[in-house]
Amino acid sequence: MIFVLIILYAITLIYFVLSERVAKFIVLLSIQGFLLFFIALNNLIHIQLFGLVLILLETIGVKAIAIPWFLTKIRKTNKLNRVHESAVPVFYSIIIITLLLVSSFLVSNIFHCRTIQIKFLSVALASVFGGIYFIIIHKNIFSHLVGYLIIENGIFLLSLAVGNEMPFMVSLAVLLDVLIGILVIGIFLNKVGDTFSDISVNSLSKLKD
Amino acid sequence: MIISVILITLISIIFPGIISKTKAKIVGRKGPKVLQVFYDNIRLIKKGSVYSNTTSYIFQIAPIIYFSTILLATLFIPFGNYKALLSFDGDFVLFAYLLALGKFFMIIAAMDTGSSFEGMGANREAYYSLLVEPAFFIIIASVALLTNNTSFFDLFNSMHLDTELSYLITILAIYVFLWIAMVENSRLPVDDPKTHLELTMVHEVMVLDYSGFDLALIQLANGLKFSIYGALIFNFILPVQFSLLYQVLIFISIEIVFALVVGLLESFRARNKMMKNPQWIISLSAIAVIAFFSVLIISGKLILI
Repeated sequence: MIFVLIILYAITLIYFVLSERVAKFIVLLSIQGFLLFFIALNNLIHIQLFGLVLILLETIGVKAIAIPWFLTKIRKTNKLNRVHESAVPVFYSIIIITLLLVSSFLVSNIFHCRTIQIKFLSVALASVFGGIYFIIIHKNIFSHLVGYLIIENGIFLLSLAVGNEMPFMVSLAVLLDVLIGILVIGIFLNKVGDTFSDISVNSLSKLKD
Repeated sequence: MIISVILITLISIIFPGIISKTKAKIVGRKGPKVLQVFYDNIRLIKKGSVYSNTTSYIFQIAPIIYFSTILLATLFIPFGNYKALLSFDGDFVLFAYLLALGKFFMIIAAMDTGSSFEGMGANREAYYSLLVEPAFFIIIASVALLTNNTSFFDLFNSMHLDTELSYLITILAIYVFLWIAMVENSRLPVDDPKTHLELTMVHEVMVLDYSGFDLALIQLANGLKFSIYGALIFNFILPVQFSLLYQVLIFISIEIVFALVVGLLESFRARNKMMKNPQWIISLSAIAVIAFFSVLIISGKLILI
């Protein structure tokens, strides 16, 4: 089951670069949240109950429901429908993300370390680099926010790869970090939207003292 | 075994009808009879064909070659644990190139008419076929890698839904084959068979000059192509220990469900913009590549160090 979930997660990365609709980004983030929930449930079932409940709440409560709900609110407030300005044509982006996934599969298989779970590491690396690539090719703040969340999901998988569980405090800190990050960027995005009626980062170059 | 050819041919008669009926029901219309497309084809077969003076013999032989290559391709499809009429190592390569040969003749026939619209449609058809072909080969290569076989019959017979990897490959293969069938038959989201604007057409614009018997052959061949892909999906998911009667019933059910799914997809999906099609089609190959490398790594066939 775990391989099916991991590969489905990898496929969502392809759909991230294929999509141009903001609503689809949000749906894909929510799907990733649910996939991470099932991956965590499958992998961490034996850990202590409190830690497990927290991680499951983090995945399904925050990643799959709360963040997509908040992003949908931002999308509606700013009337965002499509992301037009990708710096690289989508056709090439799909090829690049596939190469990224394949090289991440190959690189992680070179590791022969008992403490690293290769199955998670392979997709985690792809997700982190995929998120960075997603941020690079887009110019608007909302896409940067989505890219940031893809990276965060990759870090969650990385935490599963390097150990069975992150220490409780680290997990809580990452969760808080992400939530505050999303809230701050969300408010920032709303303000930029109000001021410029456009959320492209190009608009920010017009700011003066 | 001849049964697969008979069943595929019979199902191909009702396949387009089920799609139209599903689409009609969803929009609240009564819709044509399931066999209406077949009756239309019978009517067309009784008619003669009209040929333009600007066309050559290529235009006249293309529909026959198109139909016969697809009919020949059905001989390669096994039926559960019964071998196909033609089965040998690497038969899936010939299968794919038989379909490509038929398409090639349709493309050059469209260019033979000298119509700029048909040339444009032929160009698009060739481009989309080129993009979708890697997806087919990579997904079949993944199954070949998993089962260590290279013929359709051995591939499907050694593929048991017992490991996690086999489930993964089956899910991805069904998903990729479903969309390959849509692209190969020029259906939504790549092309819209209902469209009346030549500028946005792919397949329909290529066959604009055909009439009567030739048009009937092309439409029958399209139905056949759909039911061939349905048969491939059936072979992926059928447990081989079932008796022949059950296999036949499962085959018919899967084909009907496949037609219903196509109808549903066509009802709820909009056609892609023409310029978005290549990126959408290449994503199928990307998914197939992921499946291929997953098999390679999980089955331990790739040893890096």
